[in-house]
Amino acid sequence: MEATNGAPQTKAGDWRSYERVLLPPVRDLHKIDVYEQHGGYEALREALTSDRWDPKSVTDEVKASGLRGRGGAGFPTGLKWSFMPPVDPDVPRFLCCNGDESEPGTFKDRQLMEYNPHLVFEGMLLACYAISAKAGYLYVRGEYADWISHMERELENAYAKGYVGENIMGSGFSCELIIHKGAGAYICGEESSLMESLEGKRAYPRIKPPFPAQRGIWGYPTTINNVETLACVPLILRRGGAWYAKIGAQRHPGPVLYGISGHVNRPGVYEYPTGMLISDLIYEVAGGMRGGKKLKAVVPGGSSTPILRADMIDGVTMDAETLRDAGSMMGTGGMLVMDEDTDIVSWLRRVTHFYHHESCGQCTPCREGAGWLENIVTRIDEGEGRLRDLDLLIDLCSQMEGRTVCALADAAAWPVRYTVTRFRDEFEARCRPSLVAAG
Amino acid sequence: MADFIKHPEVPLPDLDPAPSFSEEELVFTEEERAQIAEYVRRYPTADGAVMRALWLAQEKFGFLPPEVIRLVAETLGIPYAQAYGVATFYTQYYKQKKGRYVLDVCTSFSCQLCGGYDMLHYLEEQLGIQKGETTEDGLFTLQEVECLGACGSAPMLQVTNGPYVFNLTPEKLDALLEDLRAGKMPAFTSVTLPQDEDEMGGNRRSDAPQSAVYETPPVARTLE
Repeated sequence: MEATNGAPQTKAGDWRSYERVLLPPVRDLHKIDVYEQHGGYEALREALTSDRWDPKSVTDEVKASGLRGRGGAGFPTGLKWSFMPPVDPDVPRFLCCNGDESEPGTFKDRQLMEYNPHLVFEGMLLACYAISAKAGYLYVRGEYADWISHMERELENAYAKGYVGENIMGSGFSCELIIHKGAGAYICGEESSLMESLEGKRAYPRIKPPFPAQRGIWGYPTTINNVETLACVPLILRRGGAWYAKIGAQRHPGPVLYGISGHVNRPGVYEYPTGMLISDLIYEVAGGMRGGKKLKAVVPGGSSTPILRADMIDGVTMDAETLRDAGSMMGTGGMLVMDEDTDIVSWLRRVTHFYHHESCGQCTPCREGAGWLENIVTRIDEGEGRLRDLDLLIDLCSQMEGRTVCALADAAAWPVRYTVTRFRDEFEARCRPSLVAAG
Repeated sequence: MADFIKHPEVPLPDLDPAPSFSEEELVFTEEERAQIAEYVRRYPTADGAVMRALWLAQEKFGFLPPEVIRLVAETLGIPYAQAYGVATFYTQYYKQKKGRYVLDVCTSFSCQLCGGYDMLHYLEEQLGIQKGETTEDGLFTLQEVECLGACGSAPMLQVTNGPYVFNLTPEKLDALLEDLRAGKMPAFTSVTLPQDEDEMGGNRRSDAPQSAVYETPPVARTLE
């Protein structure tokens, strides 16, 4: 696609000499004094005390950086902040940081929360300043109990040093940060259900509009950003939006924590610029395929992003535009790599089980549809499927996509739609032989 | 009336189960009440504290039968129906009594393709129970769970909503069961980033109880 002289082109530049900024190689960076020694909370001090910065110029700098949300949708962060209504002193405003991280294949935010929690806090405080919020909630999935206590310890240290709380660094700006512990529900990663959960309700997503900026938690203006997104903000203020905009792919810039899992020699979380070639990530970064096997498929950004066959990744880089053109999405950057021996039908069966289990049950197309997707894929996996089941699956997907309050139905339908169309021969081969010919 | 209405396929839950805790047991101590009051201060309304309060109650009572949920609701001053609704929505709140140790084996997505089911079945054999069941001695409950967010360390499990155990092997599971039988919970494990191995020669944390690295996942024998 982007081939020049036959060689695929990365958009990540000279990524082999890339120096990490989200997780720089600094021992004990999670400790507040080490974080301070490496420029920590300087961006906050600048923003709160220097004449150069006010909430609008902070937002403008983030806009100039081109930062796009890292939680899956890739929405421009500065633009989202500017959706907040004008400040009314009588109306509280809130920030939510989404650390629910439960999209299968995604395991990056947990490492950021463990190794650089103060960067997350500083990002939250800067965002609160930019949107004039007096409180920021960090929603972390309940399974991360050990990381929640780790962050609570560090947050106490930040309070003790006066970086959080009343009159921060004498600037007159006050802001509370609160860590909220979830209790196991994939749906809480969806922003409106996260808000319901924060309010102490069953986490049923809300109909939009009104959007969170109009009516968020407790009905007040709210902005919701992912953990990794907010962690980029102090870096942008420290080094400038122009610096950030030059990292990686032009239209989707910045550092990304790629979480690579599956059949590779060296899985893990890696920090590199956006626009990395998928082939570089698999063969150079993650040490190649396990056991020298051939690549069969890649799911580039978490379980709901459409699967790509090995022959579809030539020249494809990890940024929103290129992946869209290639027929998939950037998602969370949590990449699953599958080798040639992978049973794609059994894999899809487990994926459909996940969405059936996690559907909150509020909307009929999702609650019933996700169950039927699982039933039908299971039937095919067990050799009892009929050829027409494949078209039935696609039809079912069409009945689910875009017909529910939130995007979970879409997230459940896409893996089915694209796995069935892109690996149709394998699904056909699994259908009952006597019925294949007859259709 | 249609038969299916008279005989629903799904058995209704026992609407009036015998209480698991006596009136005397059903109290929060002064300290616990103070802790709950501290949770309430974090939110504009008391509702927001319900999840933390349920967590506290589950740690105290082990699980959340209706009478414990009612206690939480009364302590917070919110409707019982709301607290019950929250307690039954989230998978980590236990509505039934579980074993002393709950082994949550991830078999979702990456873990499925990297031996999650092999580990689940190994535990089923070793414990003599099926997933979802509790051993007769009340020590272990085995559960199959959805993605726990440790896909690079597959296969993995979580012990009773607490520590993660990464890169499972049958030997590692044997050792884990032995430790748990002796009352020893696994220590928190910090997983070293591959780039930290290359650039820093190992884990970046000097205060982690133990550390591990990302390993090449095993070949899965079964996917279900």
